[in-house]
Amino acid sequence: MLPFNFEYYRPSSINEAVELFEKLDQDGKKPIYLSGGTEITTLGRLNQIFTKAVIDVKGIPECNALDFKQNSVVVGAAHTLTQVWESKILPLLGEACVKIGDRTSRNQITLGGNLASQIIYREAVLPLLLSNSTFVVAGIDGIHQISVHKIFKEKLLLKRGEFLVQIKVNGKYRNKPFFIEKKRKSERVDYPLITIETLKIDRSIRLAISGLCAFPFRSYEMEKELNKTGISLEERIDKAVLRIPAPVISDIRGTSEYRIFVLRNTLLDALIDLEGVR
Amino acid sequence: MKQYRVIGKSVPRKESWDKVSGRVKYIDDFQEVGTLHVKLLTSLYAHASIGKVDTDEAWKVPGVRMIVTGEDYPLLIGTTIKDRPLLAFDKVRYYGEPIAMVIADSEAIAIQAVSSIRVTYKVLPVVNSPVQAYQNDAPLVHEQVEQYQIDQDADGEGASGGIHPVPGTNIANRQGIRKGNIDRGFAQSDFIVEEIFSFNQSDHTAIETRCADVEIKKTGEVIIHSASQEPFEMKELISETFNIDEGKVQVHIPLVGGSFGAKTSVQLEPLAYVASKAVGGRRVRLRNSREEDIATSPVHIGLHAKVKMGCTKDGKLQAIKLHFLFDGGAYAERAIPVSKAAAYDCTGPYAIKNVWCDSLCMYTNHPYATDFRGFGRTEAAFGVERTIDIMANKLGMCPLEFRLKNAIQPGDTSPTQVLLNKSNLGDIRECLLQLKDLIDWDRGQRIDISDRIVRTKGISCAWKNGDPPPGVGAGAILTFNSDGSVNINSAAVEIGQGTKTVLTQMVAEKMKLSEDEVFIQMEVNTQMSPDNWETAASRTTFMSGNAVLRAVEDAIRQLKRTAAIILKVPVDELEVANKKVYKKTSPNISIDFSEIVYGFIFPDGKVAGTQVVGRGTYMIPGITDMDPVTGKGVQGPEWGVIAQAVEVEFDKRDNTFKLIRAVSVADAGTVLNYKGAETQVMGAMNMGLSFATREGFLYDDEGRVLTTQFRSYKVMHYGEQPEYIVRFIENPVKGAPFGSRGLGEHGIMGMPAAVANSLSLAANVSLQQLPLTPEFIWKTRLKAGEVY
Repeated sequence: MLPFNFEYYRPSSINEAVELFEKLDQDGKKPIYLSGGTEITTLGRLNQIFTKAVIDVKGIPECNALDFKQNSVVVGAAHTLTQVWESKILPLLGEACVKIGDRTSRNQITLGGNLASQIIYREAVLPLLLSNSTFVVAGIDGIHQISVHKIFKEKLLLKRGEFLVQIKVNGKYRNKPFFIEKKRKSERVDYPLITIETLKIDRSIRLAISGLCAFPFRSYEMEKELNKTGISLEERIDKAVLRIPAPVISDIRGTSEYRIFVLRNTLLDALIDLEGVR
Repeated sequence: MKQYRVIGKSVPRKESWDKVSGRVKYIDDFQEVGTLHVKLLTSLYAHASIGKVDTDEAWKVPGVRMIVTGEDYPLLIGTTIKDRPLLAFDKVRYYGEPIAMVIADSEAIAIQAVSSIRVTYKVLPVVNSPVQAYQNDAPLVHEQVEQYQIDQDADGEGASGGIHPVPGTNIANRQGIRKGNIDRGFAQSDFIVEEIFSFNQSDHTAIETRCADVEIKKTGEVIIHSASQEPFEMKELISETFNIDEGKVQVHIPLVGGSFGAKTSVQLEPLAYVASKAVGGRRVRLRNSREEDIATSPVHIGLHAKVKMGCTKDGKLQAIKLHFLFDGGAYAERAIPVSKAAAYDCTGPYAIKNVWCDSLCMYTNHPYATDFRGFGRTEAAFGVERTIDIMANKLGMCPLEFRLKNAIQPGDTSPTQVLLNKSNLGDIRECLLQLKDLIDWDRGQRIDISDRIVRTKGISCAWKNGDPPPGVGAGAILTFNSDGSVNINSAAVEIGQGTKTVLTQMVAEKMKLSEDEVFIQMEVNTQMSPDNWETAASRTTFMSGNAVLRAVEDAIRQLKRTAAIILKVPVDELEVANKKVYKKTSPNISIDFSEIVYGFIFPDGKVAGTQVVGRGTYMIPGITDMDPVTGKGVQGPEWGVIAQAVEVEFDKRDNTFKLIRAVSVADAGTVLNYKGAETQVMGAMNMGLSFATREGFLYDDEGRVLTTQFRSYKVMHYGEQPEYIVRFIENPVKGAPFGSRGLGEHGIMGMPAAVANSLSLAANVSLQQLPLTPEFIWKTRLKAGEVY
């Protein structure tokens, strides 16, 4: 149960949404954009989120886009993780989405909600980092298309009043070989110890990881080590592990040492899978 | 073996259709207009003195009716040691402990107000484990334990055997077992092993979180609706604590949505009573969130156990010495009976002549503990059964043969020095032999599937005697409908174990009716039903069943007496079946129940008989006091036994594993309802595997529970369970209904040890701590140099 009451708005256009936000903000209502609503529910009941007004973006047509044309995949931020997966429009993304939460949650959690989440994993961003995607963001000053690498640094960097409308990915990523693995403490449904997604473009491998550090990331330094030739897989992994970009977390799901142990094994599986060796 | 018509049949539970179609109503599903809602303010620290509780801001929230703090009600309660404040005052002793409550028009308002209360704490050093609690220089959870009262019912009686907190320490109680001569036992041993085992506290995770409604009528009557396993004890406790005539306290229990021991403890009801009183007796509801159900309400006990075992070189166990430090948490409550029960059955089903056990219930700054399925045996068995495997390994003996060789038999004595016979002891040998076939033991305990994958089997035995206090019993009343069908009034609580349905089967069997012609009320109302000791200890079918059977006899006697007059046939020539009383030798001379159940009057006005009301009561005979030092005494009527196995598939690289198969063979005495018995054992096995592989609280350094949600506290889900195989053998118990043995708890008891034995073999290291997570296995192997 949420211990506070709030107003609910469901605008039907981007303009209406951003204007509403500005007005409600001026009225001191601390508005929040809502999509699936799962995070507002779970954090709200713990008093970790408070608002007097929510703006539901699910009624905005652009947020519900799902297209593949002119060699570009467009996915609206209001699609649920289940819809993204079932659409098969971008397997690289769909397979990342289907590993989040359980089916019941995925029927509710949206792509935009996961990317903008306060919970540190935001696993849906992994394929978007690997595919150099573009984020379409709306604010009071209009609609902007921004590279994932600019707008997603550790987390989604939205300015106050902005919301994520869509993501766009080059169509060539629809059929590139990739590997994704989510390792959990012991359950089939849990937050990750680590989730790694790797993508093979020509002969080089790209790598993005969630759960290892306090934020999801793509690491060019780790990729560089993994793509070295002439040394064994294990040596490449050893070198990559030295390039982890931030402290490895220790929490109730696993210690940092264990996460690194799991990372090594999973990287090995990824390399074997993508390089077709052994 | 006797053949029965209805007993043993898989009669579907009476409440099944309502349950599976979502029509069953649990406490929180009933909404009475005008009910006020209570929310608890709970402690953010595990050990701290309370300074000011500032409620000024909370009072400003519109809709707040009353705020009650610990200072308003400085009352200590408890069913063993009266050490627990209703609401904490002076200091808090665990994270999540209730400090204050707000009564408001809605739960949302109450939550809002609770979050506006400001408490100033002065943090104190925490006792964060039972081992730390045992140290001489440990901080004290209770400074003056000698000043507490001991509950009269619990002191010096029966299974409790007296309660003796040790002043100046964190020891809430110590229960000993002294059988034979422990020194001589070890002297006679060629091999001695000594190992340490441990696990943290955990939770019951019943689907239905605890909830209570209380209303105080203008007449002074207190009406309680609650999800509880012990309506009558609650009635007594409320009456005693608040000095209310017991007849004025009514407790109603509808179906309970799972309990597993959680709902034996009375916690929310006294709080709700105080809340109702504070608002002029209006009906109030206090319901737990999941977080509160996990941390604020009582939990499953934790344990640190030292197990020392001695054995001759030909594999005969000579001595066992056990030292248990139970993590009872901040308040003694039912952690004491649990830690005592662990001592009484401490050896497991093995014949060991020399037994020494000290079972200590320790105070810590953790949530306080209550009953949990298995009641001390699941906990003790983990260490003892792992040690049995370690010993067998040391001897180079097959662990199954080793168990067979030491299996306890009629003629042996229990750790409590009770002489065992074919009736009071199940046949563990027979269970083990059947288990051996079912798990394909002879095909190998360890089979390599590939370089990485290995399959292993581990086994465990367990036993349990239900240990109710002396003098407890049950009552039942049978009434009839005009068509001759039967209604049962029994206050056994339906917590999902199927008791109610089994009682209807007993009546149907005994009266030779169809089970469809026997009805039973699901709700319990203490004002309507005869007293029934709490629905616990796997003793409900035993006690309520005996009461119901006696009520049937009483009803049949009345029916025959009336029929004898009408049919002009002597009573002893009459029989009942199919809702008729008939003459044994000429069954066509008969009269239907429908003509006589409400009495019979002849045309001349002469009364042949009045309404038939069957009455039956029962009290368990033979239970005695238990000696606190030696443990000598009779704690219960019979030991049920079970042999269990778990097969796992272990990945040597990742240290992950899959549960493949789990098998149980239990001595049911007599199976009363086949599917009911099978699913009880299966459910318990699942619970045991979940507990052993995933559960267990994690605390931070300040003693706060970190795992208070299902996203952090993980239980086993559908799709993760192994194949379950359950079989029964039947060695009837004298004096039990149809010879049945307790069965509701046994399925859990050996599971942790069996899976740990299996994984220890697979991982080639000794795993002595729960839960058996892949990380724990990896770390253990790392330490042992098994992996790099």
